[in-house]
Amino acid sequence: MCLLYQYPAEVKLFQVAALSLIILFSGCKDNPTDYWKPTPYQLSIPFGFPTKLNIPDDNPLTVEGIELGRYLFYDGRLTGRTHPDSLMSCATCHIQANGFEAGINHPRFQGGFVHGITGIPTRHIMLPLVNLVWNHSGYGWNGFIWPDNPNINLRNIEDFVRVAVMAEDEMSADTTRVKQIFQQLKGYPELFYKAFGSDKITFRNIERAIAQFVRTLISANSRFDKYLRGEVQLNPSELRGFVLFTTEEGADCFHCHGGGGNPLFTTHLFYNNGKDTVFDNLHDRYYITGNPLHTGAFKAPSLRNIAVTAPYMHDGRFSSLDEVIDFYSTGVKYSSYIDPLMHHVLRGGVRLTPSQKNDLKAFLNTLTDLDFLINPAFARPEKFPDQQ
Amino acid sequence: MSKLIIRYLAFSVITFFILLSCNKSSQTPSGIVRFDVQHKANGSTLELNKLIYTNAAGNQYMVTEVQWFVSKVKLQKSDGSTFVLKNGEPIYFDTGIPATLSQSFDKVPAGSYTGISFIFGLDETQNKSLRFTNPPESFMFWPDYLGGGYHYMKLNGKWLNVNGLIEPFNFHLGIGQIYDTIAPKSAWVNMNDCCKSARHCEGYQPPQKTMPITGFVQNYFEVSLPLAFTIEENKTQSLNLQMNIEQWFKEPHIYDHNHWGGSIMQQQAAMKAGCDNGHNVFTLSIPR
Ligand code: HEC
Ligand code: HEC
Ligand SMILES: [Cu+2]
Repeated sequence: MCLLYQYPAEVKLFQVAALSLIILFSGCKDNPTDYWKPTPYQLSIPFGFPTKLNIPDDNPLTVEGIELGRYLFYDGRLTGRTHPDSLMSCATCHIQANGFEAGINHPRFQGGFVHGITGIPTRHIMLPLVNLVWNHSGYGWNGFIWPDNPNINLRNIEDFVRVAVMAEDEMSADTTRVKQIFQQLKGYPELFYKAFGSDKITFRNIERAIAQFVRTLISANSRFDKYLRGEVQLNPSELRGFVLFTTEEGADCFHCHGGGGNPLFTTHLFYNNGKDTVFDNLHDRYYITGNPLHTGAFKAPSLRNIAVTAPYMHDGRFSSLDEVIDFYSTGVKYSSYIDPLMHHVLRGGVRLTPSQKNDLKAFLNTLTDLDFLINPAFARPEKFPDQQ
Repeated sequence: MSKLIIRYLAFSVITFFILLSCNKSSQTPSGIVRFDVQHKANGSTLELNKLIYTNAAGNQYMVTEVQWFVSKVKLQKSDGSTFVLKNGEPIYFDTGIPATLSQSFDKVPAGSYTGISFIFGLDETQNKSLRFTNPPESFMFWPDYLGGGYHYMKLNGKWLNVNGLIEPFNFHLGIGQIYDTIAPKSAWVNMNDCCKSARHCEGYQPPQKTMPITGFVQNYFEVSLPLAFTIEENKTQSLNLQMNIEQWFKEPHIYDHNHWGGSIMQQQAAMKAGCDNGHNVFTLSIPR
């Protein structure tokens, strides 16, 4: 009550402030060139998704930043070279139709095993670029880039951009050359100005723009999402598969890969899921943490769009979902490093019948999000800025 | 002119009252209570990942992680009243996340207290699917088919089984299920009885391995821990909340991993035994 009476005074003050702001802004409006103001981009949180986002304070999402990031993501000149044989972009390996993995049908990389521009194979196979804005625990199969990393140069997707551009097994580029090339391409400096307030291109701003674009790659409209929102019903086989997925006496996948209560379909955490008895991959989770218990552990990837992201596992050892399901069913191997959540290990796995395997696969297929795979906002731009 | 004066007067009277009321609320003296959570085994600090413990059933075991919820935490005042922490919201503890193991709560009325009580896990009013969408709490979700909501606890580890092999166990507690043991395997779950907690699980059919579910059991339980302590104005009182791991397997039921196996989310009898034992698991003390 009392507050109500006091309000008018404040409102008046507010009006004056607002008025002066309006005057201030309208003054600038006539003269847009010396007033830089990017448009904030609001991510909407899909049903059931976490509200906490991994967006660094110094790189908020803006419409202009994302637009620029999309061009750069798809522009083969990101190698710092312009000869047609020396082009490679993020999208050379990260292909939208394959959940932003290379895919087993890739024209250049046989079986989906990618290599860098100079032919050096990557350490691990691909990871999808999907819903990464919700990953707080580490990017890469072993999580070598994470927010609290004491090494401030390996903390977020911005840093992943630099790693991808410079790595010998990826673009093998020189960052100075890269920024020089884009500086000279008509149209780009202007887009950098719109996004970051300066048309002098820095590699930092290249990182920022691409990271912004990658953060918008959100998949939340699979058949399963629609089911979760109560919009469609799954068929009996898919439902049985869902039950198998989320029951310990079924296929027991949910502790690591999520489900109805965790629609990311990953915890973004690292586990040894019992594929081997000897662990000789030098770049496992142990390589990052130095904790011997993490030997042979890798990130449990999101199972969204899993049907289109073969081959599977960090080394691509399985080329179909059937092989993956057979592995979890009877191929699980015992070692002292196996995660306790793989508690079926002494029986070799969860032992599914052939019809249960079919049901489980039917369920995994409901995680394919066609809208995401063909969303024009994520697709290759028709023309690059210098071609317009 | 006089109008202005009246306005001025009214304004100052109102301001006076506002100030007064502010004063009043800050006069209710309050302090802070801090819970320091400790996991112990046989009286000493739990060492993770070491096969050095033996439970009442004689199982040699190790613990790899413990993740759990308490809710409706109440502090009992000497005058018989209670103060509810965090509006009764669930509070999460995780051996893997140090920050969760020391949590402070302010605005606790000053005075003398006689103890605390809490619900281990979440009760039916709170245990709703998707109430937590952010990790780490969201990772605790309990599948809707099995009753929905959240795990009360995940206590993961490994034990030396009868065959001399080190086998993983997931001592997971949450809503239990009643299975229709005499129904033919082909029987479908009664859709109305299944997963009342979430609208999106209507229409489930049971996986072939499990029997139809005809109902659910709320396994949460209440724990009361008497302890005399005082909250002083603007001071922090820390309390040690201790989980004594061996007790989960001890009283009144001797819990044998060889009998129950590695997974119990669908074995109500095992979860019941665990929850019965849970009454003696906690101790509360003032740190010295
Ligand atoms: C030569 C193929 C290739 C190119 C080109 C490439 N990537 Fe990747 N990307 C990979 C592989 C392989 C991985 C898995 C890396 C690992 O953990 O070993 C990966 C992983 C990632 C991840 C981590 C995903 C996760 O879930 O942790 C991000 C982010 C990423 N790439 C972004 C980019 C960006 C941005 C570009 C362009 C600047 C790019 N990549 C170019 C092959 C490529
Ligand atoms: C203990 C945790 C855990 C459980 C339980 C688990 N997974 Fe995994 N899953 C992982 C990890 C870790 C990886 C990556 C391992 C690697 O690459 O070395 C993985 C990889 C996969 C992949 C390949 C992903 C890719 O992009 O290459 C699929 C598919 C998969 N799991 C499906 C399942 C299914 C289906 C189940 C249930 C039958 C299941 N998982 C149970 C941890 C788990
Ligand atoms: Cu569980």
